[in-house]
Amino acid sequence: MPTSSSRSTRRLGGSLAKHATLIAVSVLLGFPLFWMVLTSLKTNPQSLAVPPLWWPHPFVWRNYPEMLSAVPFWRFVLNTLMYAGVTIVGVCVSSSLVAYGFSRIRWRGRDILFQVMVGTLLIPFFATLIPLFTMYKNFHMVGWYLPLMIPTFLGSSVFSTFLLRQFFMAIPESLSDAARVDGANEFTIFSRIILPMAKPALATVILFQFIYCWNDFIGPLIYINNQVWYPLSLGLNLILGTYTTNWPWVMAAATAATAPIIVLFFFTQRTFIKGISIQGTGVKG
Amino acid sequence: MQVDVQTNKSPTAPLTVASTRRRGSLRSPHRRALRLGLLFVSPWIAGFLLFFAYPFFATIYYSFTDFNGVGAAHWIGFTNYVNLFHDPLFKTSLFNTFYYTVIELPLSTVAALGLALLLNMNVRGRAVYRTIFYIPSIVPLVASCMIFVWLFNPAFGIVNDLLIDAHLPSPDWFFSVALSKPSFILLGLWGLGQPMVIYLAGLQGVPRDMYEVAALDGASAWKRFRYITLPMISPVILFNVILQLVLCISYFTQAQVIEAADPGGPGTSTWFYVQYLYEQAFLFLKLGYSSAMAFFLFVISAVIMVVLFRSSARWVYYANEQQ
Repeated sequence: MPTSSSRSTRRLGGSLAKHATLIAVSVLLGFPLFWMVLTSLKTNPQSLAVPPLWWPHPFVWRNYPEMLSAVPFWRFVLNTLMYAGVTIVGVCVSSSLVAYGFSRIRWRGRDILFQVMVGTLLIPFFATLIPLFTMYKNFHMVGWYLPLMIPTFLGSSVFSTFLLRQFFMAIPESLSDAARVDGANEFTIFSRIILPMAKPALATVILFQFIYCWNDFIGPLIYINNQVWYPLSLGLNLILGTYTTNWPWVMAAATAATAPIIVLFFFTQRTFIKGISIQGTGVKG
Repeated sequence: MQVDVQTNKSPTAPLTVASTRRRGSLRSPHRRALRLGLLFVSPWIAGFLLFFAYPFFATIYYSFTDFNGVGAAHWIGFTNYVNLFHDPLFKTSLFNTFYYTVIELPLSTVAALGLALLLNMNVRGRAVYRTIFYIPSIVPLVASCMIFVWLFNPAFGIVNDLLIDAHLPSPDWFFSVALSKPSFILLGLWGLGQPMVIYLAGLQGVPRDMYEVAALDGASAWKRFRYITLPMISPVILFNVILQLVLCISYFTQAQVIEAADPGGPGTSTWFYVQYLYEQAFLFLKLGYSSAMAFFLFVISAVIMVVLFRSSARWVYYANEQQ
């Protein structure tokens, strides 16, 4: 008699195998970060030991203050926050307006223009860069963040527009109709009714724009040439190029740049995962 | 139409035409909606003209000139393009990007889908595993590069130490001609959180009863995957492949950063197309020449996208269209 006990042991065995696989993959994916933190807590000779020393003894915390004072790390962070702050305003304002026009108003040519907008995602960044750089140079804007900030006020964040549009489309049309009957114009409906309802979507947009700026390397590499204005990404690159013989410092810098973003991710996980999943659901057709 | 033309000829025409038009536009909700719609999307239209349309045509124009950013641009016909095809570094960098794309694209697709399938299993603590699987892709790209250069350091890296323990050869990874590109591919495979999450959402959208019916009919796990899962998530696969393809074609940051750690580098084996373009444009100010490279990049990616979309008609299944 193949009793329920043999079936349940088989189920238990299956579940164990699943967990074993998941844990093995987790260890593999988590190891680089684990090793980064461990290295950042070693002395330089310890980090260069052959064979490698697995556990730092004692833990050397001073790599962090030393690295933070060897390079203007806080300045890099401040520049990044400023870059993120301004572009977040730009993205929220322009993308919500554009998304509204692409979702809550019916007009001829709307869907074709929307497809053109999504299509611009497929154009490589470098395919259009040279005339843009020349243009900004002629306007004396190269050297600071304006070339990276201005586009965000003109709907350059297709992802944000896309996300907000998906959200706006889910709001019942009857709400707008009721307001129209009361004599509200379209802009009032947008700013007083739809936008306040879209706070969760705006939170997602803000989160993604922040992470985008925190990680952005190519934009600043092209337009920012003075170290005083370096964002974190260029600062890290500088550290890697300067201290290749001091791996604990390099790893301390990597940890310092990564930790805030991981903490942020822990607190905003739901928003985050939902924001990414929406991209996949919007691709039908 | 006819009426308009006739009234135009009569002396009182301007007044009547204007007034009917104004009344017409007030009456026509379509016209009003069009104007409103355009008004709302006008920031994007301005952005599109300024940041896509203008530079697109300007790039084509520059590519036929000797523009260097300072003086005037002189028309030199196809010279840049002819030089391009005689430039060994152009070919090398094009080949390297091609190599990376051809290997990375299928591997990342299989890996991201595999991770999503693992996360889609019915086990306790899925949220924890999902978090761990996702985290590598929010690590700043430059920090990821730092970590990988250190992990794969030829002399002091932990990877080579483990390989020595296992009596395997310990190569120079990022700094060897043969293994530099595979090293970049490994780095790419570490940060697949985004496609993984999109695949996971796709997997969770497959109706459960489909699997139940198939299981009742005695379909094996593989058959259920092949004939239910794959067709049902094929639109998501197409979406992710396109996203990864755009990243592969523009591969730049990682190579640029890792070369900073070792300026000597493994020769030209890690010289990617966009890096070469960047160098020609911003270090040597050969803006005409690099514009030719930029336009060539655009043509190549456009051709790939068209081929991909054409082929997708054969392998992408849209459930909604069938109903």
